[in-house]
Amino acid sequence: MIEQAPALIVVIPLISALFITIIGLYQPRVSWLLTIITFALSSIFAFICLKQVVTVGPISYVFGNWPAPFGIEYAIDHLNALIVLMICVVAFLVAIYSKHDIIKELGDKIPHFYSLFTLLVTGLLGITLTGDAFNLYVLLEISALTSYALLALSGGRAYIATFNYLIMGTIGACFYLLGVGYLLINTGSLNMADISVILSSNTYSYTVLVAFLFIMIGMWTKMALFPLHSWLPNAYTYAPTSTSCLLAPLMTKVSVYVMLRMMTSVFNYDYIFNVLQWQHIIVALAVIAILAGSVLALRQDNLKRMLTYLIVAEIGYMVGGAWLGNANGFTGASYHIIADGFMTLCLFLAIGCIIYKVGDASLSSMKGIFTKMPITMVGFLIGAFSMIGIPPTCGFFSKWYLISGAYEASAWAFLVALLISSLVNAVLFFRIIEVGYFQALPSEEPNHHHPKITRDEAPLTMLIPLLTTAGLLIGIGLYTADIVTYLIHPFIKNFL
Amino acid sequence: MILGFDIISLSLILLCAVLALFIRDLMGSVIVFGAYSFLMCVVWACNGAIDVAFTEATVGAGVGTVFLVSTIYSTTRIDTFKKNRLLKQLFMFAVVCVVGVLLLKTVTDLPQWGDAGSPANTHLSAYYIENSIDQTHVPNVVTSVLADYRGFDTMFETCVVFVAFIGIFSLLRIRKSKTKNAATTSPTTELTLPPHQEVDSLIIKTASHLMVPFMQLFALYVVAHGHYSPGGGFQGGVILGASLILLAVSYNFKKALSILSEKKIILLVSLGVLIYAGIGVICFFLGGNFLDYSVLHKILPATDTIMARSHAMLGVEIGVALTVMVSMYGIYLSLSSNGRFDKGL
Repeated sequence: MIEQAPALIVVIPLISALFITIIGLYQPRVSWLLTIITFALSSIFAFICLKQVVTVGPISYVFGNWPAPFGIEYAIDHLNALIVLMICVVAFLVAIYSKHDIIKELGDKIPHFYSLFTLLVTGLLGITLTGDAFNLYVLLEISALTSYALLALSGGRAYIATFNYLIMGTIGACFYLLGVGYLLINTGSLNMADISVILSSNTYSYTVLVAFLFIMIGMWTKMALFPLHSWLPNAYTYAPTSTSCLLAPLMTKVSVYVMLRMMTSVFNYDYIFNVLQWQHIIVALAVIAILAGSVLALRQDNLKRMLTYLIVAEIGYMVGGAWLGNANGFTGASYHIIADGFMTLCLFLAIGCIIYKVGDASLSSMKGIFTKMPITMVGFLIGAFSMIGIPPTCGFFSKWYLISGAYEASAWAFLVALLISSLVNAVLFFRIIEVGYFQALPSEEPNHHHPKITRDEAPLTMLIPLLTTAGLLIGIGLYTADIVTYLIHPFIKNFL
Repeated sequence: MILGFDIISLSLILLCAVLALFIRDLMGSVIVFGAYSFLMCVVWACNGAIDVAFTEATVGAGVGTVFLVSTIYSTTRIDTFKKNRLLKQLFMFAVVCVVGVLLLKTVTDLPQWGDAGSPANTHLSAYYIENSIDQTHVPNVVTSVLADYRGFDTMFETCVVFVAFIGIFSLLRIRKSKTKNAATTSPTTELTLPPHQEVDSLIIKTASHLMVPFMQLFALYVVAHGHYSPGGGFQGGVILGASLILLAVSYNFKKALSILSEKKIILLVSLGVLIYAGIGVICFFLGGNFLDYSVLHKILPATDTIMARSHAMLGVEIGVALTVMVSMYGIYLSLSSNGRFDKGL
């Protein structure tokens, strides 16, 4: 069974999504349990794969027993093994978290929610695992379709926000598909490793250049890089809490992963940086993304909306890091996929708890939140510290690698943008601390009797995932050295 | 001859696309879109991509149009699109131009049409054409690539259909009790259906009665004969779905639900994908990789490893057809009844 692990990571959620739909007709409540079991199993298999990659080396799994370029291959190497595990764990935590929230927000649509939820994660896992450029597109479609449905489930304003996302997402996917089409014309192959071999044996033609450009544009649209970000804030803000908790950490990060994969395993890294020399333009774009995301985040009063702009800024980190063209920058970018995934999750989970109890997430309703929900706020603070980049948390380490990469590449604008972004994050989160901790004191409003704030925490199914994530942020931070030496550096050795 | 044909059909396609944008009556746009799909289908056929042409004809021109019509039925047919500001229009025009120039510039770089020496024709395609019969006993290479060499993709394509149905269903579905509440509390937020008239035309009923058996027979042939001729699960499933939709259109909604109830639709849609994935899982238990059909010869009587692949392909095509048929029907019912599942087109 162990050698089947790569396939099982994806097949288990797929089959279970179908069973959730069927069983949900008769027993809607069971779907929650099934989803949790599914992702627990997937996480186990993902962990087995990760262990094997570290000890033995990259794994290749062929479907239908057809050898690699003829059939479809799953290729797990040092870059994606950890991301796969991250996706499974995030899905597992959000699945636990969603129990009460979904009953409250969606009522009778529970089985459909979980079925779409499971399929969405199936899609993301498939994108991350696959070694086939077209298979990636098919799974991109699945994850996109399911995310449209999940985002729009809350109704009202979510419909139009999701519709905008649908248009942008479809355009992005089209660009990716066109790029893959051009690659097929040029190489006659769809397998990533095979394409890479064929491309490196002859000179890059103009069509290959257009293919690369289109794939990049497609992914930038999907990950909401600054000028293409307009769909993201609304879509994530108006979505059901559990949906945004799942999508915010995963969707954009997986697109970043695809960008890294395309840059390193399909196209030639040397070619991109020494012949094309687009890096200055792209890093400049990343700088604009970081600054614009931070400034726009400062203007928001709604915390959930503020976080969505922070995602836009964080995308700038990863794109910039990947396009610095040196080992530290790439390390920072790929490490930040994991770090940012968990810290976005942590903050969204915390905000979700607040919304569940308080009703909305505007800054003014945060008064006295530390007294009312102390445990939630502990999780929130750890997430916030990681966002700012305070040492024991993993946010510090990714920023450290990115800044040293920027220094090596003399990309001063990027370096300054990173520092400014940290400062803005600090301002943002201390503003919340100020409102939540100090403004509730009765001495502030001596004139009328302030009702005493009592502790009113979110249910345990919401708190446990939140605290686990907060713990993971510190845990990943402490194991940074291991992640970098055993996973990221062996991968970078392939092309740098 | 063929070049002249290409030019005519491509310019007509362009005309249809522009017309569809400019017609203010949405129903008109939809009809023009249907024509667009038919012309696309002609272009695919001219290029020798018969399977793609078949799919375009059934999905694009067929059920796609039906879905759009039923959406218009339950919403509105008047286009109230506000014109964008000039600056925004210019910006979008510039973006389109840049992409267009990029695409046009690649044309000179591409291999000639039908060039036997181009990479696309020499690498993988050549392998499939040379080995399909020996390795799978399936003469239609498109089917063997679709259902076997790249069967994993097709499984997820079936999933896409499943997701489309579940997504539309879960977004639109309004429970009866909830509808009552919504009607009493906030009638303005609900989209109101136009006044419904029961159409009870003997001519329409008889005509559709005559057509449905032939459609279904042909659809079954398309599914079963996919190994040898263009077609397969997707196309056959769509035709089957269309035959059910025809019945639902010519009768009333009650009859439509008596063919397949809401519960059965959900059950069967999942079952179709489950058949596909289930065949893959059986391969696990027989000691092969996922979707490695050759190991199925251990349980299928009187087959060798190659024939097992051929048989398993039929199995997965049936799964695909089931999911596609029922989801087409389900999507139609959701759209035309506006998610209420009580009355509709």
